[in-house]
Amino acid sequence: MKAVVLVLGAIVMLAIAAWWLTGENNYEWQLSPDYPLPRVPTDNAMSAAKVELGRWLFYDTRLSGNKTMSCASCHIQVLAFTDGKSRAIGSTGEVHPRASMSLVNIAYASRLTWANPLLDRLEDQALTPLLGDDPVEMGLGGQVEDFSALLRSESRYKKLTRQAFSDDRDPFSLLNGVRAISAFVRTIVSFESPYDHYMNGDDDALSSAALRGMELFFSERLECFHCHGGFNFTDSTTHASANVEQVGYHNTGLYNLDGNGAYPSDNTGLYDMTGERRDTGRFKAPSLRNVAVTAPYMHDGSVATLSEVIRHYERGGRLIEEGDHAGDGRLSPFKSEFVRGFELTNDERQDLTEFLESLTDAQVLSDEQFSNPFSN
Amino acid sequence: MSSLQRRYHGVVRFHLIFTAIILLLGTSCAEPYLGVKIPFVATWGGATIGCSSADIALSDLRFYVSEIEFTDDRGRAFALGLHDDLQWQQADLALIDLEDGEGGCDNGTREVFAYLVGSLPPGDYKGLQFTVGVPFARNHANPLMARTPLDDPAMHWHWRSGYKFLRAGIRTPSDSFWIHVGSAGCEGTVRDISGCRFPNRIAVELEDFSPGQDAIAVNLKALLAGTGLTDGVPSDCSSGPPETSCVAPFAALGIDFESGQRSGQQNVFSVRQ
Repeated sequence: MKAVVLVLGAIVMLAIAAWWLTGENNYEWQLSPDYPLPRVPTDNAMSAAKVELGRWLFYDTRLSGNKTMSCASCHIQVLAFTDGKSRAIGSTGEVHPRASMSLVNIAYASRLTWANPLLDRLEDQALTPLLGDDPVEMGLGGQVEDFSALLRSESRYKKLTRQAFSDDRDPFSLLNGVRAISAFVRTIVSFESPYDHYMNGDDDALSSAALRGMELFFSERLECFHCHGGFNFTDSTTHASANVEQVGYHNTGLYNLDGNGAYPSDNTGLYDMTGERRDTGRFKAPSLRNVAVTAPYMHDGSVATLSEVIRHYERGGRLIEEGDHAGDGRLSPFKSEFVRGFELTNDERQDLTEFLESLTDAQVLSDEQFSNPFSN
Repeated sequence: MSSLQRRYHGVVRFHLIFTAIILLLGTSCAEPYLGVKIPFVATWGGATIGCSSADIALSDLRFYVSEIEFTDDRGRAFALGLHDDLQWQQADLALIDLEDGEGGCDNGTREVFAYLVGSLPPGDYKGLQFTVGVPFARNHANPLMARTPLDDPAMHWHWRSGYKFLRAGIRTPSDSFWIHVGSAGCEGTVRDISGCRFPNRIAVELEDFSPGQDAIAVNLKALLAGTGLTDGVPSDCSSGPPETSCVAPFAALGIDFESGQRSGQQNVFSVRQ
């Protein structure tokens, strides 16, 4: 009996040692204890090798069908991993109906993309830009075998893939490539904005104008925080120890084509997924972290500047006077109850803008560990 | 030769050996199974069409077939067991691919999978029915871990969670229309779908189908009647709720677009003698 216990004990210890040595669990989040850890899928544990592999793949244009585009083409670091365009443009020139979303703190998103309640994992979301054909984004669809060949043949990828997926007999798969990219993207975490420094005890981190703007942002008068609340400034947020899953979709009164709340047919929001009319025009509230560098705004990039965004919410919906999209979004029957409109003085508008600017984390926009490794 | 083709030739060779074994076994059994081959052809009305046809040509035609049953003269149903050693077949599911990547099908594949091959007990069969669709559990499993023919990225609809059961399209010199049919309005999350409001599976029931003699015609003219194919404006339908362009082709497929449920007989698939 004693011998059996000893043997079992030895096996367990060997297994633990092997687990550590294979690098399956050697990633350390560089987060202050004040911030929660991101949720990581159990079948895609973080490791340094996996993150490094993912970083190279993220910046590699060979992941597109015509070798012109990488993930980073639409997710540019200095723009908080957005692209500055109103609508994304794919590798073959096709225009996407929606704007590229920021990837900063995407590890904390309870749902991904603008309006897809099915997508809660980066590993699943990544397949649409890589393989989708309506519209074509990266256009890798017919070339999955080329991707495997790339991992297998290039010495850097071969080594990193073997290291990152040491348990796999044939690790050179799209599945593992997508896992690595997802692991890298999860590391793009931002908690070093002036707002964060202020919250962590540095009283001088925010100007008095930004502080007044913060009061406004969190007031019942403006209601901003109802949808853009919490540590990540969006109500669709989760983390490793979250007890409740928060998911929110909101119609902000951008369109009202027919007086009955219709949105342009290529961009109907949650309705496109659920088929419930009341879901028309409902989109996820994006995180407002780094919002000052992610113009243009809204799901279709139809609002050019931050001050226009503020004007939109002041009015409680957008009036489009003429053209195909004419209509008064303020009167939409599907509009969120929190988009009621409010009045601001010029000074208050300036204060609110300064607060929003204080959410910019200069470090994440230039941190070398998230930058293009091919150009270093 | 691509690795896909090599794999294809490999399985064909294997299939021949397998068939020989079945035939040998068959000679010693009291009731041998019949080998059944069901060919599919793309048509425009009565005329056969392909990707390189003049005037009206395919731009795409691929679909999954499952729940395949023959009915005998006494009304009894027998499932067709598909030979799962073929690249395009599992035991109860197959991918039919009638485009060859040429001409107007430039987003397609060179491989053509134009028929089902399976086995049936001997009998006097009159009817054939099948579903164009992927059974629920497999439809919502991880596509990167799926077995062939569910590992084709072009057939998966990543953002809707599930496969395109049918992708079809036509190009004319002045216009085009394509359609993607799959389950929509699914609930839950990608790895844990609880159900779909609009299942959008296509039920095909064919009377008087003689195995070994008849083929199945897929009539794109019937599918696209009532769409804007002739209005000079390229259009499409991707099973989305706002798309009025889906109403007519869904009706042709026997599906009520408003509910995603079966509404009547489809008129796109028919027996071709």
